[in-house]
Amino acid sequence: MNVLSIIFNEREKFDDSSLEIFTFIKSLDNDKDMNVTSLSFGGDKKYISKLPVDNNFYVELSGENTNQIDVLKTIDFFLNDKRYDFIIFQKDDMSNYIAPIISYRKNYPYIPDIKQTYSNNSDNIKFIRPVHGESAEGIYSVEKNNPIVLKIRKNSFKKEFLLSIEKDITELLLDIDISQSFTIIENYKTKSEGLQLDEAEIVVSGGRGVGSKQGFENIKNLATLLNGAIGASRAAVEAEWIEPSNLVGLTGKWISPNLYLTFGISGASQHLAGCSNSKIIVSVNTDPDASIFKYSKFGIVEDCNKFIIDLIEEIKKTS
Amino acid sequence: MKICVCIKEVPDSDVPSDKLRIDSNNLKVLPIENISSIVNGFDLNAVELALKFSESVENCTVSIISVGTNLSSDVIKKPIAMGADEIITCDDKKNINIDVHGTALILSKLIKKTGPYDIIFSGRHASDFDMATVPFALSEMLSIPILNIVKTIKKKGEKIILERIITDGYQLIESKLPLIITAGNQVGDPRYPTLRGIMIASKKQIVNYTLDQLEIASEDLEIKVKLENLYFPENENKVEMIEGSDSKEKAIKLIYKLKESGII
Repeated sequence: MNVLSIIFNEREKFDDSSLEIFTFIKSLDNDKDMNVTSLSFGGDKKYISKLPVDNNFYVELSGENTNQIDVLKTIDFFLNDKRYDFIIFQKDDMSNYIAPIISYRKNYPYIPDIKQTYSNNSDNIKFIRPVHGESAEGIYSVEKNNPIVLKIRKNSFKKEFLLSIEKDITELLLDIDISQSFTIIENYKTKSEGLQLDEAEIVVSGGRGVGSKQGFENIKNLATLLNGAIGASRAAVEAEWIEPSNLVGLTGKWISPNLYLTFGISGASQHLAGCSNSKIIVSVNTDPDASIFKYSKFGIVEDCNKFIIDLIEEIKKTS
Repeated sequence: MKICVCIKEVPDSDVPSDKLRIDSNNLKVLPIENISSIVNGFDLNAVELALKFSESVENCTVSIISVGTNLSSDVIKKPIAMGADEIITCDDKKNINIDVHGTALILSKLIKKTGPYDIIFSGRHASDFDMATVPFALSEMLSIPILNIVKTIKKKGEKIILERIITDGYQLIESKLPLIITAGNQVGDPRYPTLRGIMIASKKQIVNYTLDQLEIASEDLEIKVKLENLYFPENENKVEMIEGSDSKEKAIKLIYKLKESGII
């Protein structure tokens, strides 16, 4: 069985969440003859040379304005003389764009956001993916007579270890087309307030119940006190109490901290999608029936704005 | 100019998850009470983006395009009430179990039949199956480039300038036309229909095409990825509610619990 993983490192360093792909690959088959190839775009070559793969290809990216059309052309050309049973992407901006196009260009079936391999026999393979804003799950089956394009859901698989030694990588060139139909003029990074959400051990989040921009100051204060990052629900972002880059959820950041503290968040499934991998969720809400409690280890029914002030005060006393 | 927006009728997603049920015959998630449907939220953001753009250029018509089975005319006519000009559908009973490939194929035929369009809009994904695939398939079928999750667009001569949302910010992009654009909530709230708009929508005839008229055979709609089962995942979590006489006492107890768990 031949498997190809296509990895984009949009930051200059190496995004280790791509190591989830290799745990997923193991779940596809127990086949001892499995041959794994990796095609990485960008990132630190030192790390990429340690990927647990049989064939390692690397395409250097210059700057941040990489055009998707160039990436597509490069992959298209790469696939020309090779046949893979599975082509696997993870969930990031570039993959969200590239994966469905590659599947339709090659006429291969495509399943996005896989969280588990359900079963595998000689004729077909089945996968589980969340649907309806993560409130339900579907089992999808696909016949194995053709290559299959898959995209895995973030935070759904353990990270495979890097090799201890650097192995050879084959460098390829990005196929740049100057006559393409669109040009990226500039990238603007909006800095989220506080620590990076997807790297923090503790995240403090506020929702509709916080009620005001002023109320969000307490969320920021508690996050600072705990050396944590600041998160928010869509309601809080849409009310402009906090930057969109602080959004946690299906259309925002996917986080997996040790501790996730929520204040005035009801727990819409779209929000839970982004935070359900937190080790411990603590929730404060005035509504005892708020669905966030069903996913929390500890729940407090209280006015979140009053409780957070008491909590800050008591933490200061004990530390 | 001539632009269009592809919209999908979906079950109302703004329902708490415990108020949902599974329709196991049709493999759909539906609200427990009356089966209300809506236009997919991100598609309405796309309608808003298209209407804003049409107001900024001269002589621009906005068509609405939808594919389905037994579409509710009062639901899918909402974009007309918001200000769009015409509505074109392929409402056919054979569409009942089509997948993303089938949907994209039918949309591409409708677009070829009624276009060409300078810009084709749609939502970033539909809230029922969250595939985020149809606009990309459409891009391949029509050979028109796509830019996803666009927040603003402005005309600049023969080209357009747009802002595209990325994880940690946005990109400023210059593009030729034609182009496919998907939109998300960053566009801003869709406008409310006006009373005049509602009157116009109520009289507006839906232009419908059958699969036969679009020369699409059943084999063309063959499903490659089959949804076999749909269920609510079991939640085995047990929450411990922290009780106390007042907020302060609960705060003290929580700190104790978190220290006990070694978290802080």
